[in-house]
Amino acid sequence: MIHNGVAIDDSFAEAFPMKGTRIVITAHNITWARHAAVSATGFATSVIACGCEAGIERELGTHETPDGRPGVSVLIFSMSGKELAKQVERRVGQCVLTCPTTAVFAGIAEGEAIALGKNLRFFGDGWQISKLINGVRYWRIPVMDGEFVAQETTAVVKCVGGGNLLLLCRDTDAALAVAEAAVGAMKALPNVIMPFPGGVVRSGSKVGSKYAALSASTNDAFCPSLHGLVANSEITPQTRCVMEIVIDGLTEADVAAAMRVGMQAGIAIGASGGLLRISAGNYGGKLGPFHFHLRKLLAAGSTS
Amino acid sequence: MSGWRLRLLQAQPVRIDLRGITPAALAGLSAAQVEQLRVGFGNTTMALAEFFKVEPLSPDDSADDSLVFEGDLSRCDRIGWQLAAGRIVVEGSAGHYAGGCMSGGELLVKGHAGLLAACEMSGGALTVEGDVSDFAASTLPGSMDGMRGGCFIVKGNVGERFGDRMRRGTALVFGNAGDFLASRMVAGTIGVGGQAGAHVGYGMRRGSVVFAATQATLDIPVTFVPALVEAVVFWQLLARDLARHGGPFATLPSRTIERHLGDLATDGRGELILAR
Repeated sequence: MIHNGVAIDDSFAEAFPMKGTRIVITAHNITWARHAAVSATGFATSVIACGCEAGIERELGTHETPDGRPGVSVLIFSMSGKELAKQVERRVGQCVLTCPTTAVFAGIAEGEAIALGKNLRFFGDGWQISKLINGVRYWRIPVMDGEFVAQETTAVVKCVGGGNLLLLCRDTDAALAVAEAAVGAMKALPNVIMPFPGGVVRSGSKVGSKYAALSASTNDAFCPSLHGLVANSEITPQTRCVMEIVIDGLTEADVAAAMRVGMQAGIAIGASGGLLRISAGNYGGKLGPFHFHLRKLLAAGSTS
Repeated sequence: MSGWRLRLLQAQPVRIDLRGITPAALAGLSAAQVEQLRVGFGNTTMALAEFFKVEPLSPDDSADDSLVFEGDLSRCDRIGWQLAAGRIVVEGSAGHYAGGCMSGGELLVKGHAGLLAACEMSGGALTVEGDVSDFAASTLPGSMDGMRGGCFIVKGNVGERFGDRMRRGTALVFGNAGDFLASRMVAGTIGVGGQAGAHVGYGMRRGSVVFAATQATLDIPVTFVPALVEAVVFWQLLARDLARHGGPFATLPSRTIERHLGDLATDGRGELILAR
């Protein structure tokens, strides 16, 4: 299947169930809400060593937040509800509680509750005040700029993590341009984040390693530097740079939609812009229950 | 299940105790059975039919399973006592303890209510369109906690000791409040649309008392201190919730506030909020 000169592999991305939540961070102005959100979602590219995958979903206007201030919605995903609770508490405690003028609220209402301000309240050293407003409990913690308001809990829902696209490009410039365009298109959608730096990862991995201690290692089949060296190389002499985009979303449909618009953005650039082929990472379909077939996604997109 | 209309036959010289006459208790009973339900009358009990004409609501109202009291029930106490579900409407005034200890459902009093309305209420919604007397939203004598949940709305004025020992929930007064408003309050939210009497927040430990009248003249007790910082986030959360009740509270989110913290004689984490 070829679109605008871009070969679409008859392959699929394999994704996994994760646990996730959305939190809404507001502040006196969008700058400080952004500071808190950037900080809270820092070092959260992969569950392999970060404990969670997190990112900014979008910025919120004053009419969209509980307190009428500008805000940022953040999605945080982890492999278990327990680990997610730990990450949320640490990140909100160190990055939001500390950030000037911020407040934090749950961005999802339905689901198992995990602590948001529930344990952070003890920072108030006895001066914290609980307030139950319309059935929702908030904590008011005195801080040096006034008061830190945090909703007691946020809700955890089952999510989908690890949707991905492999963009095989002519050179570095083309690969960056295509990846940036794809990430830009995906960011316009709700309920998804691309957790890697700028949404893009260049160190795509395969399962396993020659070293027993490592569970994952470089995806040698897609490394241009190993062209001609590894037996199963997917690289042709024309493809000298490959980028991967990883997508975590609240539902399978959200991840599918993001992959579709990402592919469409790449196809719009086309072979003339340096995108030669789109593939996806999977493990033979045995590990993850969610399979996103590239051709099916595109076909569904063109009919809808 | 259809509703019932209980029409008071005549004013009684002795107070009637209507505890137990709830939509749940009447569900599935025939009119004859409802008429034989016992209600307190002085130091004895009598059949409900001695005082009320019992009628099922008309078939047109079959979707309406309310329990409607008609007449001046200001000598009938404990209407909606321990109400847990269903809807009671009093088309007139209610006596003492209206909605006392209710944990759910809805009680609407279209006239006035007597003493101790909504005392120890823990859930549901109680609305009184007229005035209520003293000790509303407070505690039963000897008990530690007053109102502890739900939403209590008084469209008129309230008497003294409103919200005494109140612990949780929202109690709104569209009119004026008497002396010792929010005395010994433990927590929760009280809103007053008019003026309040003396000794506001006497012995208050935590909780928020909002004065929505632009020209609220309040004699702030000396055991309260003015707050230096605004609580903008908290105020927006609270004001937006109170605004949906309309009346004097409708404009709260757009107004600035002045806060006074106390009562320092006790815990000191309560606040009097004056909207400007």
